[in-house]
Amino acid sequence: MAIISREQIVEGLEEILGKEQVITDEQVLKESSLDRYRKYEQVCEVYTQPIPAAVVYVKSTQEVADVLSFANENEINVVPRTGHSAIEGGLETALKDSIVIDGSTMNKVIKVDEYNMQVTCQCGVPLQELDDMLRERGYTTGHSPQSKPLAQIGGLVATRSIGQFSTLYGGIEDMIVGMEAVFPNGKVCRIKNVPRRAAGPDIRHIICGNEGAICFITEVTLKLFKWQPQNNRYIGYKLDDEYMKLGFDCLREVMVEGYKPSFARLYDAADAQQHFSAWLEEGKAILIWMAEGPANITPAIEEGIKGLMSKHPELEEVDPALIEKWYGGLNWGPEQIAEEKEEILATRNIGITTEVSGSWDNIYEIYKTACDRILEEVPDMTLMGGHSSHSYINGTNMYFVYYYNVVDCAPEEEINKYHDRINQIICEQVIKYGGSIVHHHGLGKARAKYVTQEYGSSYYMLKTLKQAFDPNGIMNMGTLIPLRK
Amino acid sequence: MKILGCFKVVPDLDLIVEEDWNIENHLHIDTGYAKLIWNCFDEGALEMMLRLSDLSEGLNVVYKLSALTIGRQKTESFLKTLYALGFSEGARICVEEEEEILFSPEMISEGIANYVKKIEGQDVILTGIQSSDGNNKMTPYLLAEKFGWPCITQVIGLEPIDEEQLKVTSQVSGGCIVRKVKTPCVLATGNAPCSYLRIPTLKAKMKLGKRPVTRLMPEDMGMSETAESVRVTALNPINRKRNTVVIEADSPQEKARCLYEKYLKERLSEL
Ligand SMILES: Cc1cc2nc3c(=O)[nH]c(=O)nc-3n(C[C@H](O)[C@H](O)[C@H](O)COP(=O)(O)OP(=O)(O)OC[C@H]3O[C@@H](n4cnc5c(N)ncnc54)[C@H](O)[C@@H]3O)c2cc1C
Repeated sequence: MAIISREQIVEGLEEILGKEQVITDEQVLKESSLDRYRKYEQVCEVYTQPIPAAVVYVKSTQEVADVLSFANENEINVVPRTGHSAIEGGLETALKDSIVIDGSTMNKVIKVDEYNMQVTCQCGVPLQELDDMLRERGYTTGHSPQSKPLAQIGGLVATRSIGQFSTLYGGIEDMIVGMEAVFPNGKVCRIKNVPRRAAGPDIRHIICGNEGAICFITEVTLKLFKWQPQNNRYIGYKLDDEYMKLGFDCLREVMVEGYKPSFARLYDAADAQQHFSAWLEEGKAILIWMAEGPANITPAIEEGIKGLMSKHPELEEVDPALIEKWYGGLNWGPEQIAEEKEEILATRNIGITTEVSGSWDNIYEIYKTACDRILEEVPDMTLMGGHSSHSYINGTNMYFVYYYNVVDCAPEEEINKYHDRINQIICEQVIKYGGSIVHHHGLGKARAKYVTQEYGSSYYMLKTLKQAFDPNGIMNMGTLIPLRK
Repeated sequence: MKILGCFKVVPDLDLIVEEDWNIENHLHIDTGYAKLIWNCFDEGALEMMLRLSDLSEGLNVVYKLSALTIGRQKTESFLKTLYALGFSEGARICVEEEEEILFSPEMISEGIANYVKKIEGQDVILTGIQSSDGNNKMTPYLLAEKFGWPCITQVIGLEPIDEEQLKVTSQVSGGCIVRKVKTPCVLATGNAPCSYLRIPTLKAKMKLGKRPVTRLMPEDMGMSETAESVRVTALNPINRKRNTVVIEADSPQEKARCLYEKYLKERLSEL
């Protein structure tokens, strides 16, 4: 890989950025070699990936360009980072002597443009801070992933993330307007802010979802929406777990009839008990919706959904207040991460998630067969279930949630014995039935090995993009496209 | 040796939305939507029982672990979890309106005592020191008093000796005491070194977790005759908010200097 030594890399970076912005502290480097994909290694503080040469904090687009040019000339692998909440190995420094470029210090909100309903910010702006500030003014980005207290704009765009209100606002790809990104040779590209254009392919999508494997995102403009929570309406039903297929059909019905709730969710019984154990009987699945928007629209959506659901005697309505209050405690911040670490260390029990998508005609098979196979083939499982949380006119996602005890297994072996094995089963079932193996966490390095199956003949386009923009192979190698063994 | 673990299932208070803590002239906090969890001290106690049982492997002592809870039907899934972890007996005193016993350690200890007297005799009763919602901190003491048994609190470890004795480690201010304790006794855990209970596999749940829970009525356990010694007349939220000042400066050095000059220097000189 790098054609200069580790010491020369650090020296070169210090020349560009000054010593203060170049971190070589051993512990910081170790913690920067992985993300939550290797959660068990992370909590056990066992580091199996190559330790990066340095973590650098950048303050401007020019600094990003300078660091990238330096890395490009010297063939040094770089891993872009902002909030450090990645789940699929996107932050693993897979090659020796990598540089982690941390954009969290580029954290200015550049412009709130209330007339054109858009906000421009640097890549390191924390989403929670941005949305809190906007809400005080009566606006929202509409983006609300569970990691809202952790994630920052750069990472959110780089992973094609999605929030809980996606059924109304869409994923991040529907929210972005223009962007600025820096390519490995130092070239800075700005895509202007316009409501729409038909001037060739939508090149924003070379940037959005690149997972740090093509370019470094420095600035993003997002759409704004009015925030009017006083009009929110919640709707919920419980149903026996054996009616999960019906549950998916209910989600479908609402979409097909043309309603636009802001969230639409179906939890199977195992997953539902993790959230609603206070009042939901064991063995019951749950369906929930929230309607958001102007005061004359939300009651209509509520009424419409209720009308559709009233035709299903298998459903029993639940008190909407229970859903509304539950929703308030859904997000995860640093406290939950710290608590989780303590719990994993004490119990050696770990919870992981894998998100996929499918069409209405295959999502149930994907869900059912993956759960069955995992329970059959993987030892020490303590919970296997999931939920659908993002619906579309033509299908929905499935968010598998699984817990297992790590038994007789060193931290460095856990990934092979359990996590990868489960991931593999899920990916196999998804590919077999024709869904997508990644709904919103990104391919990262964990699922890059399935990229050719995921893309089929269109893999040619992804590979060509990577080769064209990153000919020296310095951008987050092993992410999106697996490393050659 | 027969050991009874008494536990309470509580709502996860971290999930209570802010407005529900605004108790205006009513004596009830709505926690009905928050997910249920083990009371943290009890969870540590139950794990301690399992660890004691693990330690007895190969020794000439057998521990029969039982569990008892007082609460509504929803708590039974917790008893089934304990079955799956190897508890041999699980019982619930059926109180559907848990609010009624929230501040009544007398009723609770009466219920537990009668279970031990009438249903399953025990050599050791293990409880957590207090619950996260009632916070009464009295149940283990009342139980010990009822039976005339010794009571050790702040227990952080149990080790086997023989059928009549246990090695009990408890925390005291400034250190730990390790004692050989002759049963019967009441033990209460405080800050157990492991406050999390292990998780049973789904296979163990299928195999062991299906056994029915013994259900008992409060009136049969003498709980209805127990007079309440206290009654709630008011609830006031504690305001834990602190004023904060964000120090603005260009570099960490400048921030540190400002922190020292403005906020620390004077206080430090007073030390
Ligand atoms: C508890 C929890 C809940 C989550 N819930 C959701 C959810 O509801 N929806 C969802 O979509 N995701 C969710 N995630 C996943 C994760 O939060 C998202 O992928 C998020 O978008 C990552 O943002 P980040 O700023 O933390 O990025 P990081 O973790 O720092 O990086 C993520 C990826 O993006 C790349 N990257 C980061 N910054 C840049 C940049 N400036 N330029 C180019 N590439 C960059 C990195 O190289 C990496 O591959 C969750 C994660 C956790 C831990």
